[in-house]
Amino acid sequence: MIESILAMVPDFLPGLGISLLVTVASLALGLPLGILLALGSLFAGKPLKFTCIGLVELGRGVPGLIMLYLVYFGLPQMGVVMDALPAAMIALGLMTGAYTAEIFVAGFRAVPQGQWEACGTLALSYWKSLRLVILPQAIKIVVPPLIGWTIMLFQATSLAYAISVPELMSRAYNYASVTFEYALAFTLAGFMYLAVTLLGLWLFRRASGRRRSAATSRAAVLAGA
Amino acid sequence: MFHSTQGVQGPDPVAFPSGEADATAGGTPILELRDIRIEYKGHEVVHGVSLAVQRGEVIALIGPSGAGKSSLLRSINFLEQPSAGQILVNGQLVQGQSGSRGAIARNKSLAAHRRDVGMVFQQFNLFPHLTALENVVLAQVHSLNRSKEEAVARARQELAHVGLTGHEDKYPAKCSGGQQQRIAIARALAMDPQLMLFDEPTSSLDPELGVEVLNTMKRLASEGMTMLVVTHEMHFAEDVADRVVFMADGAIVEEGPAEQVMLRPSSERAKTFLSAVRGR
Repeated sequence: MIESILAMVPDFLPGLGISLLVTVASLALGLPLGILLALGSLFAGKPLKFTCIGLVELGRGVPGLIMLYLVYFGLPQMGVVMDALPAAMIALGLMTGAYTAEIFVAGFRAVPQGQWEACGTLALSYWKSLRLVILPQAIKIVVPPLIGWTIMLFQATSLAYAISVPELMSRAYNYASVTFEYALAFTLAGFMYLAVTLLGLWLFRRASGRRRSAATSRAAVLAGA
Repeated sequence: MFHSTQGVQGPDPVAFPSGEADATAGGTPILELRDIRIEYKGHEVVHGVSLAVQRGEVIALIGPSGAGKSSLLRSINFLEQPSAGQILVNGQLVQGQSGSRGAIARNKSLAAHRRDVGMVFQQFNLFPHLTALENVVLAQVHSLNRSKEEAVARARQELAHVGLTGHEDKYPAKCSGGQQQRIAIARALAMDPQLMLFDEPTSSLDPELGVEVLNTMKRLASEGMTMLVVTHEMHFAEDVADRVVFMADGAIVEEGPAEQVMLRPSSERAKTFLSAVRGR
């Protein structure tokens, strides 16, 4: 039994690598998008503000699988054809943008009003207030909920199985469909997701030195993480 | 949104600014409020208050909670938008700006006004991600366009001024409340304000720590800083203020030299208030 599990590992590892790659790429695409959507929905003029809020609600309201199908099967109908891997990155990146926009909004809101007032009385310009005072505090506040989202995203990469991206879930399924070792294959895949998640959390805790100010925990609660 | 008013006709009896209380009276007041009205959601909380402040004068604004003291003080640098009235600095009308935070921050003349008026808050409002020194440096560089070197030198000087030499590299969270409030005072002083506003600067401090802040304020007063202080510290009002303004229900009920208002108030409202706070 142990032997048959160990025999599976080399087969599964490239899949795990692709799952991680999709996660990182989706974050790279989604986080800047999330910040832009958050800034837009908080501080922009009315038409842009409501557009941003609408996009966020749309992105959060549509299931990930539908997003994947829209990008992979839907876009070709409009002449945009791409491989499964970039399609997964874009679909999950859009989802990340919508979800993290909400986290960033909560982060900006959690910075006390008094900080804006102090900037105002010191006659700092609006963008300098945002860049030098509000943003650094908001970023600190949003780190824990962003870690939470990253874990969800990593697990959501298994959806990309549905558009035949050769990630961990696909590997497990393909292995099982040949060997009929379904229980074993999915258990191993599950453990691999779990192991990466726990390792990531452990690294994060070590890096942050278990320092959690009252503000960050409050914001984490606000952001629903 | 501002309209000019000739004379002051508030719904409540409003004491006229005389300026006679101050020894340096005469000439243009450094700050003049004319018939300031402030509304919250259609409900007026300050009903046409007028007040003139002479250079070097220390004025204590006292009165029960909800009297509109803080709102009035905050309207001076437009943290609250007055719904009507005029604010003059050295005889020059300050144009208000309504609308979003961005619109207010973009108004150049308002920014110039805010640089002239220092503000100290009840909750300090220090920047928690910056050290004491950086807190005092930030606006000097980014609002006054001073060089980094000049700003740092000035920040050290102001921190020494409030008795915090040796605490430059501490973060606010590592400082006591009294130290934090003194950093906030240094931050405001480094901007070379013509006038300092204090909004209940000791109300969130233990009495013991409040004393440090009050002593710093006393020293500022003795150095000739013009100060407008909303306070519940009756000793400060009595000992340090040149003039005491007693507000209730959104209007000035009584004002005059500190010893007169504090020891021999003429209005019933002030008598009741003072005997209540003294009786504690």
